[in-house]
Amino acid sequence: MRTLGLLRRRRALLNCAPISQNHMADRSMRSAVLREDGSDEFVNQQNFDRALAELVRLVPIPPESAEWFSENEVIRAPRRRWRKIVLNPAVLAISIALLVIAGVFAFHLVGQLNDFPGSATARKLLTVAGSTRSVMLDPVSAEAGTLSDLFFMKHGLEHYDVPDEFADFQTIGCRVFDDDESQRIAQIWVGEKRMQFFLFPAERDTKTGAVLAFPGWRYVHQEGWVGAVTEHNGVCFMAALRGRQKDLEPYLKAKE
Amino acid sequence: MEVNRVECAKFCKDKDGRVSDRKQNLPQLYRFCFLMLGDARKAQEVFNTTLREAAVHAAQGELPKEPFWLFREARWRCLEASKTGLQPETLEIEEHDIAPQAASQIEQLEPAQLAIWISAAPDPQRTALALFYLDEFDYLEILDIAELKLRTLSRYLAQGRRQLQAWLDAKHSGEPKV
Repeated sequence: MRTLGLLRRRRALLNCAPISQNHMADRSMRSAVLREDGSDEFVNQQNFDRALAELVRLVPIPPESAEWFSENEVIRAPRRRWRKIVLNPAVLAISIALLVIAGVFAFHLVGQLNDFPGSATARKLLTVAGSTRSVMLDPVSAEAGTLSDLFFMKHGLEHYDVPDEFADFQTIGCRVFDDDESQRIAQIWVGEKRMQFFLFPAERDTKTGAVLAFPGWRYVHQEGWVGAVTEHNGVCFMAALRGRQKDLEPYLKAKE
Repeated sequence: MEVNRVECAKFCKDKDGRVSDRKQNLPQLYRFCFLMLGDARKAQEVFNTTLREAAVHAAQGELPKEPFWLFREARWRCLEASKTGLQPETLEIEEHDIAPQAASQIEQLEPAQLAIWISAAPDPQRTALALFYLDEFDYLEILDIAELKLRTLSRYLAQGRRQLQAWLDAKHSGEPKV
């Protein structure tokens, strides 16, 4: 029953088959014509229609009527003006969607440009910094630079050294804990601007096991916290504080 | 008249000579009137009146927004105008299959003969044939202007072809068979 309906519709479309190819925009019409193309009956119909359309084109326009339009000007369907095209809801919707996609892509690209080996761990530790209270740490009053011996002697952590830039800072407390990837993390709280330091293993190549080193200091941001990270001897050091990058920059520049 | 013509130029064409509404091709509009009426004088009258009215609307800023409105207007004027003249008799018209030599038979016709034949068809078949053979619109646009359904348009066109073929055959055999 459905096939019969389809056949009838196709027959109906063929009876209305366009004379010129430029009226073939409709998909169902194109499909019906393609199926029938070449059959004697359809070829006769098309030749018949073309001959009639040709005859209609020969209909002369009386000069009085031709005054309404210049004969030299071929009056065509207007091209859509750019403003009309831009204000078309479909075009607008597509443009906005493309802008959003481009924005997300750019955001990810910029994020990846700022990434460095260990940046994911550093961001996680910034979250830890935000939730840490001073009572959670063992009270230690010393210069931060001296704690590397404590980490080595008490916890067996080698090269957990505080860089020179922050070595003179007076500590309030420290602790060593395992993160969710069982990495040994050392956390130090200092009095200066309620700053926290983190020492954690640098990221390694999964195949060779070699440390993925990076030069100088890199910044990470997370939930209103900023961290400056550097790598040395396979251990990353991060100085973190609640604020912006410009709050940390003076400490790094001072040493330079 | 001169003012109207100026106004019409405003609504009809932009500076590139294009009509400000889609597919309002003026020469084709005239041909449409001619096919609908089969008479150059009447066609010219309807064509001029349609454009003059449109110019007045344009001057008042009341141009219709829907596409093909000029053709719609002209269609109703043609139907009105054809009511006043001689009416064709209602006859059983013979129908023939389209012949391979139909194209060469049509080549020997004058445009006016075809227009008279189309204008004698009852409406809406007349509108369907006139719009279709203008070769200006696709079938969806014709359905829109003539306010027809696909099956109806298809039937009118198929029937029109077969009747025209019978007329062509009769013309070429020298004896009209109606």
